[in-house]
Amino acid sequence: MEKAATKKAISIDVHKGKAVFSIFPGLCKGCGLCREKCPEEALSWSEELGVYGTPTVVPDPEKCKACRICEQVCPDCAIAIVRKTGGDKD
Amino acid sequence: MDIQPKMPKSWNAATKPHKFCPGCGHGLILKALGQVIDEMGIQDRVVFGCDIGCSLLAWDFFNVDTVQTHHGRTTPVMVGIKKARPDRIVIAYMGDGGGYAIGSQHLVNAATRDDKITVILVNNTVYAMTGGQMAPTTMPGQKTETTPYGREVEQAGYPMMGPEMVAAITQEGAYVARGSVARFRKLKQYIRKALENQLAMRGFSFVEALSTCPTNWRTNAEKTWEFVEKKMTEQYPLGELKVPVVKEG
Repeated sequence: MEKAATKKAISIDVHKGKAVFSIFPGLCKGCGLCREKCPEEALSWSEELGVYGTPTVVPDPEKCKACRICEQVCPDCAIAIVRKTGGDKD
Repeated sequence: MDIQPKMPKSWNAATKPHKFCPGCGHGLILKALGQVIDEMGIQDRVVFGCDIGCSLLAWDFFNVDTVQTHHGRTTPVMVGIKKARPDRIVIAYMGDGGGYAIGSQHLVNAATRDDKITVILVNNTVYAMTGGQMAPTTMPGQKTETTPYGREVEQAGYPMMGPEMVAAITQEGAYVARGSVARFRKLKQYIRKALENQLAMRGFSFVEALSTCPTNWRTNAEKTWEFVEKKMTEQYPLGELKVPVVKEG
């Protein structure tokens, strides 16, 4: 069975275009732990539904600073943030 | 740009999304463990044992040799594997129900014998898979399925302080710590030290990880974090309880 995890990511430029925020709807279960941990309150519920039919999250490109806390607290690795300037280390 | 999920390499990507509930702490603890396995480069030598309860859902989680046993017996099974193959790095992964309730004798005996294994015990204060009944780790006053008015210590006793007990009965080479999914980097550090302690064959390594269970706590994301960060850490203080004495030279 081809797993939903391989479904394409939804990517959005954040932090003045210095980073790319990607959410994998095939992995996101909509638990919301990331939303609570975001220091900038940049995450809100998305129209896109996740693997359990629950809303995924979408960042506000203005507010998101690509700090990668949401990526760290996601139990499902559904969020991937890539900084274009490098420095992807924790 | 084709972006891939940032999963640890030791994870079995074909089995993801994993089977744990939304917001379950198991995913975070296994992410920490996976990252540590990657960083230490020990994937080909790890034997992973999961217990019964929610932790058994990790049976296909990693691309490592895995065995699943029942009710805390993961500990003696891993001890056996370690005795037969001392070059393997064995990890016994269990919940508080398996490790502290029905399987506590195995934990106590392995700790007393100072077996050179690593035990990661996930504490979410309830029996999660069977529907949220009171567990040995349920905190005083906590409402569960079987304590609808809150756990009364006069009737149901006090919760189990696992790492404190293990620290008291192990030898000098043991490593004992309590981490939390709310302190991800610290937890990862503890797991790494526990595995390094086993690699150095110093003694028993034990990490209790405070975890989340939004399904049985009946909490939303905000209350879930509040529960694990405030209520649980008040009852279960975080930190290293026993760090092995490293001999000089």
